[in-house]
Parts: sequence; structure tokens; C-alpha cells
Amino acid sequence: MSLALLYGLAGIVLVAMGLYAALVARHVLRRLLGLNVLGAGVFMMLVALASRAVDSAGRPDPVPHAMVLTGIVVAVSATALALALLRRMHRHDGSAQLPEDRAP
Amino acid sequence: MAAEVHALDLVLVVLLVWLGWRALASADLFKAVVQFIVFGLLLSLAWVRLGAPDVALAEAAIGAGLAGALLLDTLARLGRDGAADETRPLGLTPARAGIALACLGLAGLLVASVLLLPESWRGLTGPALQQLGNSGVSNPVTATLLNYRGWDTLLEVGVLLLAVLGLWILDVEPPLPPPAPDPMLGLLLRILLPLAVVVAGYLLWVGAHAPGGAFQGAALLAAGGVLWHLARPLSLPATAPVRAAVVLGFAVFLGVGVAMAAFGGGFLSFPPAWAGALILLIETAAMLSIAVIMLGLFVGGRTGKAGE
Amino acid sequence: MSGGAWLIAVAAVPLAAAVAALLAGRRGAAAAGLLGSLLGTVAVLGLAAAVLDGGVQEVLMGGWAAPLGIALRADGLATAMLLMTAIVGSGIALYAWRYFGAAHATGAHESPAPPHDVRAGRPETTTDRPDWLFWPVWLLAWGALNALYLSGDLFNLYVTLELLGLAAVALVALAGAGAAAAALRYLLLALLGSMLYILGVELLYAAYQTLDLQQLRARVQPSLSAGLAAALMTTGLLVKTAVFPLHFWLPPAHGAAPAPVSAALSALVVKAGFYLLARLWLDLFGALPWQAGPVLLGVLGCGAVLWGGVQALRQQRLKPMIAYSTVAQLGYLLIALPLAGQGAGGAAAGALTAAVLLAASHAAAKASMFLCAGSLLAAYGHDRIAALAGFGARLPLTATAFALAALSLVGLPPTGGFVGKYLLVEAAVRAGAWGTVAVVLAGSLLSAMFLFHALSRAFVEGGEPPPGGAVPRAPTAPQLVSLALALLAVGLALVGGPLAALLATGVAP
Repeated sequence: MSLALLYGLAGIVLVAMGLYAALVARHVLRRLLGLNVLGAGVFMMLVALASRAVDSAGRPDPVPHAMVLTGIVVAVSATALALALLRRMHRHDGSAQLPEDRAP
Repeated sequence: MAAEVHALDLVLVVLLVWLGWRALASADLFKAVVQFIVFGLLLSLAWVRLGAPDVALAEAAIGAGLAGALLLDTLARLGRDGAADETRPLGLTPARAGIALACLGLAGLLVASVLLLPESWRGLTGPALQQLGNSGVSNPVTATLLNYRGWDTLLEVGVLLLAVLGLWILDVEPPLPPPAPDPMLGLLLRILLPLAVVVAGYLLWVGAHAPGGAFQGAALLAAGGVLWHLARPLSLPATAPVRAAVVLGFAVFLGVGVAMAAFGGGFLSFPPAWAGALILLIETAAMLSIAVIMLGLFVGGRTGKAGE
Repeated sequence: MSGGAWLIAVAAVPLAAAVAALLAGRRGAAAAGLLGSLLGTVAVLGLAAAVLDGGVQEVLMGGWAAPLGIALRADGLATAMLLMTAIVGSGIALYAWRYFGAAHATGAHESPAPPHDVRAGRPETTTDRPDWLFWPVWLLAWGALNALYLSGDLFNLYVTLELLGLAAVALVALAGAGAAAAALRYLLLALLGSMLYILGVELLYAAYQTLDLQQLRARVQPSLSAGLAAALMTTGLLVKTAVFPLHFWLPPAHGAAPAPVSAALSALVVKAGFYLLARLWLDLFGALPWQAGPVLLGVLGCGAVLWGGVQALRQQRLKPMIAYSTVAQLGYLLIALPLAGQGAGGAAAGALTAAVLLAASHAAAKASMFLCAGSLLAAYGHDRIAALAGFGARLPLTATAFALAALSLVGLPPTGGFVGKYLLVEAAVRAGAWGTVAVVLAGSLLSAMFLFHALSRAFVEGGEPPPGGAVPRAPTAPQLVSLALALLAVGLALVGGPLAALLATGVAP
């Protein structure tokens, strides 16, 4: 089994776990953790893929690396805004869950 | 970079999957976040094993560091009641079973797709490395980010800018109670802050020909700022100097692009002779802005009478 | 200027204006916004002229050929969307200039309930809200839309989608703390949609080693990777476009936001998702013999038309009603997709014209309607439909605008909405899709019911006096903008021919 395949499969597992948590969790922070783990899995698949395309000097395909770097920055920006909204919602509504998830 | 699997990789993968699951399923959110941070650090190791040191630096600094700090800060502000969650947050109920099956199904399809990929796979390695001489830098990832696909990076800086604008739109938050004064913190600051500035500058400079670059340097600077904030609280309201600082990177990047368009080459087309200098200019402005933005994301802002 | 230069201007002007607005601060942001709207509209007009004259315009960013670099392309469809965004966006900007300036004077607020901080137990003041930040955020959103419509690269599309999504969330947050939950829900779903989209892009890159739309179109074959990628990308876009049944985040978000923000979101931001679905299924996968995708989208569209219409009927307040109407109207756009595919033969071009015309008419009419709602809120202090009595006499401009906009949304002549629906039904009849025809007609009936119910309030006598005794006035200038946009929706009836010619530019054989 090659390195790329191992990490690619690991990435897929992370995708499934993160997606499940994002959809099923009730606390918003946990949903965010799920989305971030989902992102980690998606990026891991990309970087694993890139590691298969090496030239004679052993350098991998840089375009997926750039994509993942961009993705990390974008994901953290969105997470930061989401956390700020979560804090605001908690101060206003008294709950850290979306209205449809709260106990009636 | 070895292409065969070492025992280290097997251990790493198992740890990653296990920690990822713990981070999602721990009932205590504080534990979950800590596990997530460690997960992020192990993820950086995975990037190194896969031959992506630039990504590893960014993951450690931004994905684990900044994100972790933001998550912990939010937990602190939510308080005990806000951070409470059910005892089995991801427990299977009949409704959730359907979703779990769908996720497993997706995983299966992805595995099949991955296994069906052709054995030899070139990707864009060839074109990217061939053009490296004309790109102005010798780090292929920096060349891709700042030259080949600079338009993406420009928009990405815009995304960062939007995050801090969103924060400014939301109302002022009540401050956390100040921590007990800590003599160690002052000493640590005196050593670490200058170190952070120097290393950040080094990362920026070296990014042209080795792993590093503006984003990584910015995260380090922001980390220094967060340390300062922990000792002596900062606030970054939307006053004119702060606004100028956060928009500087975006503005310089856009400005250089337009200037290149106006003087013949094309939007963001760097003539090979000047490419290195232009990239350094853009990266320096970007690093300063992004550092201020990241610090702003952590400390929040007070809008008050600002905006003049 | 050459076509390429106009294209660069279209991409760069809103972003530059955003920088100016941010630097200008509270005093100068609106001026930067208005100037940016003017210059941006000029740029789009220049580009449209270049496309009509010279065909598809293409610019390689940084001078690097795809797939290493990113190509920006303006074909007929992209140009039509750019025009719609620029013109309706400028109208919204004019309204916002007056709206945010007046809000401090009249003290009117738009939260569904008086905002209060649960912990502190006292009402918040709304006067500290940094409304001027609307300008840099809106300009960045417009820049993102332009970049999205022009983009020819799948990963670049992801970045523009993120930029657009965050900007939209920030705009919703302008409504204050009461909107935090709606904004948060929108952001979480947008993030989920983006991750699914990227997963799909990854599979395509892995299989075909390019991110460029044109190259992918040439290389893609029916395969597990391509199919899975299509499914993932479509699901991600469906979440972001509020297509039934994943629409549930839209009514609360659009209902809670300030009027110009609701207008921008319903009229312009959601169209990006439709555009991308069209790009995906008519262009990227257009040559593949996959009928199931577009047909499924058409079915979901039918569901959206009916469900959105029924839900709109049940609303007691004006803004949520208008928001549900958006869910329904987006359904028509999706219904056009299977009819515009290669399977439909000669009717395909007509269906695409129908979709774009409906999108543009909806943009103008929906923006007008939300802006009317803003004026009504300013005049009455609330937006409960039953209690908006006599607004025909109190706000004649608004009433006229509302009536014209309603005509276009229902699809009655002589409006753009009518011509669009006519073309849509014609395409459906030619394709033998009788169920679709029935749904379109049923949807129009539902729209007529809830819109004319709201409109009927205009002619009712009397009405409860606003609380506090003093009679607040809604300023005239914003109402003129609502009227202008409604007249635009009517005027779009005339552009069917030129639009079809524009859309024919750049269609792959």
C-alpha cells in the first residue's frame, strides 16, 4: 500500500466522521468541529493525491498544496465568523443551539 | 520523501482517526477542543509525511493554533451552561441511523473512486515546475499562490478581510474577567515577542525558496499579538488606522494587479525580471494585514464611536 | 477599450470600491459605494458591448494558460448575469444610501421582536450599529458575484463562493442580535455546501488533471468519479441556493435582514447558485448523456414552486412572505434546466432565454418588493400584512411599485415575468412536459393569491394609527427607487429578442 493510498483512505474516514457530526450534533460548536474535521479529510485526500505526482527531483504537484493552503485559511475565517455569531446568539437567545435543535 | 509506508505512518493515521473521533464525540466540549488542537498538530505531521511542508506550517499555525485559540476563547465566553451538551452527542438514534448510513455510503463511493484512479498520474507538476524560472521564486507552492493562481489568493485575502468586517458588524462583547497577574507571562513576552517578529520576517523571506510565506509569517505575528493581549488586553476597533492596516494587503495586491494590467502585461502578469520583487512586495503587505486581521479575529473589536 | 480590458474592469472595480469604502469610514462609505456602482455598471455595459460585437471575451489571469492559471471568460450567459447584478445592484445601492442614512433619524428598527439581551435583561440600543459597514461588505459581495460569473476555473469558483457566502452572512448580521441565529444557520450550511463542492472538484481534478471548465468539458467521460463529483457538487450548490427541500435557511435569513440586504440576497446572491447549476449541467456535463441530473433538478424545482407558494400564503408578515416567494421563484429557474439541456432539441435555446429572463425579472421585481417592504416598515412601524391598511393612499409610490412588481412575479402581461413564463411554458409544451406546465400555472395562481392579498390592503380604508401618535413618513427618494426597479421588471418584457441573441454567444456546438 502506498503512502498516498493510506492517507487517502484516512482522509475518507475523516470525511465520513466529520459529515456525520456536522449533520447530527446539536451544539453549534460541535457542528463546527465536525465541519473542520470534514475539511481536514477533504484536504488530506487532495494532498495524498498530489503526492503521487512527483517529478524526477521528487517534488510533488504544487497546485493541490496551494488549494489546501487556501482552503485552510478560508475555513478558519469562516469558523471565526461562525464563532462570533454563536457567541452573539448565545447572549441574545440564551442557547448555544440553533432554534430548531433546542428542546421545546 | 519516501513513498513507502513506515510504521510511523500507520501509527499517525490511527491516531488521527481516533483523535478526530474523540474530538467530535467527547461530551465535554473543552476536552473535545483540546483533542481537536492535538488533532491539528498531528495533521501537520501528516502533511510533512506527504511532502507538503508549506501546508504543514500553515496547518500548525492557523488550522490548529488560531482555530484552537478561537474555539477555546468562545468556550470560555459561553460559560458552563453554554458549553454543556448531551452525554452522548453523536449517539445513534433511529433518525440518525439514516444519516450514518448515508455517510458510510459516501465513504464507500469515495473509496471506489480513489481505487479506480490510474496508476501513473502526472497532475500539474510538469507545467508548474517548468515555469518556475519565470515565476520569480523557486518555491513551487509560493509560485502557485502568488503568481500562477494569484487571483485565487487575492480573493482569499478578501475572505479574511470579510471575516473581520463581519466581526465588526456584530455588537461589542462584554470583556472576560481579567486573569490573575502572572509574572511568568511578562518574562515570556519579553523573550517570545521579538522572537516571533524575527521568525515571522524570516518565514516571509525564506518563503521564496523554501517552505514558508506570508500566511505562515502572519500567523506567527498574530500569535505574538495574542500573547500580548493575554498580558495586556488589546482591542482592535474599526478606527482609521486599524482599517487601513487590515485592508493594506488586499489593496496592494489588487493595486499591483491593476498596475500590471495598465502597463501592458495583463492583470497580475509579472514580467519575469520583476516577479520576485513584486511577489515580495505583495507578501509583505499581505503578511502585515493578515496578522492584524487574525489578531482582530481573536480579540474582537469595539465599534463604539469608531468609523470616522 | 478592448474586451479584455472591460472584463478586468468588471472584476476589479467593485473590489477597488470596497477598499475605498472601508478606508473612507462612516462619512465617505456611501459615496464610495455609489461611485463604485456607477463605474461598475459602466464596465459591465462596456463588456456587454464587446461580447455582442466580438463574441466570448477571455482573459488569462497572470498571463498563465489554464489549467495552471485561471481563465476568466465572458460568454452570453455570464454577461447577462453580470448586467442583471450591476443594474439591480445599483438600484439597491441608491436605496441603501437613503435607508441607512434615515434609519438614525427615524429610529425605526426591523427586528421581529424588540432586541434584548437575555443576560442583561434590558433592551439594546440600535443606534450604535455600524451600518456604514454595509458598503464595503456589499461591494465585496458584488465583486465576488462578478468574479463568480466570469470564472472559468472550478477551484476559483470555490473561492468566489466562499467570499460571496461570508459577505452574505455579514450582511444578514447587520440586522442585529435577533438575526444571529439565522445568519449562523446560513453560515453553517454554506460551509457544508462548500466542503461537498470541493470534494467534487477534487474528484474531477484527480480524474482529469485540470480545473478549467472548458478543458474538463472536453475531457470528462461518464465514470464513477465524474458521477460522484457531479452529485457532490450539485448537492453543495443546492444547499447554497436554497433549493427545496434544502431551503429552510432562507426565509428566516431574508426575513430578518434590513430591507436593502434582503433585496440584495433574494434578488442577486441566490442567482449565483442557479448560474452554477446551469454551468455545471448545461456546460460542463452538457455533452454527457446524463438526463437524470437535470430532470431531478427540474423535479425539485416543481417542489419549490408549490411548497414555496403554499408557505407564502400562510405568512402573516410581509417580509417572510416575500422570502418564501423567492423560494418559489427559484423553482422556475430550476424547472428550465432540463428543458434547456441538449436532450430537449430545438426548444433548448428558448428555455435558457426563459430562465435568464425570469431570473432578471425576478431580480428587479423582488428587489423592488423588498424595498417597498422597507418603506412600509418605516411608515407603519411593523410589517403585519393584515394591519397595513390603506397604504395605497399613504404611500402611493410604494403601492404602485408593489403592484407592478407583483404583476411581474405572478407573470401577467406586460411584464418581463410574463414573457419569461410564456417562453418557459412554450418550451415545456414542446418537450411534452405537461406536468411541468401544470406546476407553472399552479405556481402562478398561488403567487397571485398571496401577492394580491397583500396588495389588497392598499385599498382598505383606515388602518390602525401607528404607536406613539406621531405619523412617521417614509422618505420619497427610496420609494422612487422601488418604483424604478418595478418599471424595470415591466420593461424587461421588451428584451426577449436581444437577450436570446446575447445568450447565443459562446454556446458550444
